[in-house]
Amino acid sequence: MKEREHVLKLFKETRNALEKSDVLKLKELSNQTIHASSIDQDSDNIAVAVILYSLSKIIGRKDYQKQKNWKEFYKIEIGLIDKIIRALGKSNDAEARRDLTLMRKAIGKLSGKLKLYIQDVFRRAQINKASRIYEHGISMEKTASLLGVTMFELAEYAGQTGISDVPLAKTGGVKKRINLAMEMFK
Amino acid sequence: MIQKAIIFDASTIITFSMNGLLDELRKLKEVFNGKFLITEDVRREIVDKPMKIKRFKLEAIGISQLINDKVLEMPASVNVNEDLISKKTKEFKDVANNMFEAKGNFLNIIDSGETSCLALSRILDDKGIKNIIAVDERTMRMLGEKPENLEDLFRRKLHTPVTLKKENFKIFEGFKFIRSSELVYVAYKKKIFKLKNGVLDALLYAVKSKGCAISGDEIREIIRMDRKG
Repeated sequence: MKEREHVLKLFKETRNALEKSDVLKLKELSNQTIHASSIDQDSDNIAVAVILYSLSKIIGRKDYQKQKNWKEFYKIEIGLIDKIIRALGKSNDAEARRDLTLMRKAIGKLSGKLKLYIQDVFRRAQINKASRIYEHGISMEKTASLLGVTMFELAEYAGQTGISDVPLAKTGGVKKRINLAMEMFK
Repeated sequence: MIQKAIIFDASTIITFSMNGLLDELRKLKEVFNGKFLITEDVRREIVDKPMKIKRFKLEAIGISQLINDKVLEMPASVNVNEDLISKKTKEFKDVANNMFEAKGNFLNIIDSGETSCLALSRILDDKGIKNIIAVDERTMRMLGEKPENLEDLFRRKLHTPVTLKKENFKIFEGFKFIRSSELVYVAYKKKIFKLKNGVLDALLYAVKSKGCAISGDEIREIIRMDRKG
């Protein structure tokens, strides 16, 4: 696992933030992985970014906590975070990676509305993180492939952000480009 | 003998599709004396992948119909061999993905669909077929038109020094890019849209909202240009 020490620190802080239901801290922690994810495009780092962002969203929804499976879900997630911290502490990347996957698979054990809610949160988290990586300059197709989302989802999400308004993205004159298009259709 | 072609990246077709403008794309083709081309890699992104996802299956079917009706055609229609595209795609991809370095890693910035458009454009150039690439996502356009902006973007966003191989810029020179925004402008000028009042403004913001990398300032400039005639 690339940046193991950093991921270990993230999970320790995540554990604390979860106990305090500190949504802002969780969101901030998930953002810390984006720069690294854009650079090394390491699947573990990307998975961590998606999971931490999902947790920030899930913890932020008080209505989810009223659902019947909530306690079970929370207990599983906390237990897996503890296992990841222990595994990374022993430099056991394989075990940490397995538990990271289990954090997501834990949803499968849920039933009823909470399962659907949380599945949706994870999907949206994938698209959100894809949009952040696209914002960092990685192409739309490459980013969609890295995050396992479709270009359709990413295009729709990115279109609602200010990504295309960044001045650096302007690479040519408007008139020139319009004329180029008009010329082709003559 | 085909004299000109527009090569579509997946991002541009997606913008048309998500805005319900595939019929307008069809009408654009009718007034275009050339070919609308997509590569096999692009076809996979806009047909095969969304076809497996219920939410986007309708879009995939609509695009697939455009291919069946030869509105969008494959490179074989201009006698371009898939193997040649694959070979050139790999060349472009390798150069692009070994161009910007941060923290000891070369940034993987671009994928096969996007680079296959560059490859096809070069092949058409060699065959003397005038062509432009329609791409809505911004990285490929930045790479072709202002790679120094891309370098600057990486530096700012990654908060880390980025080194680049400037000698690699050369391979990406000379491509011509338009976006769905310019295509809807052409369609508007050619009166393909039945709606009248404020439709250009609405169209440009619609394509922007579905992923076309055009800024609000650029849209306002297009509107001003149109008003001046």
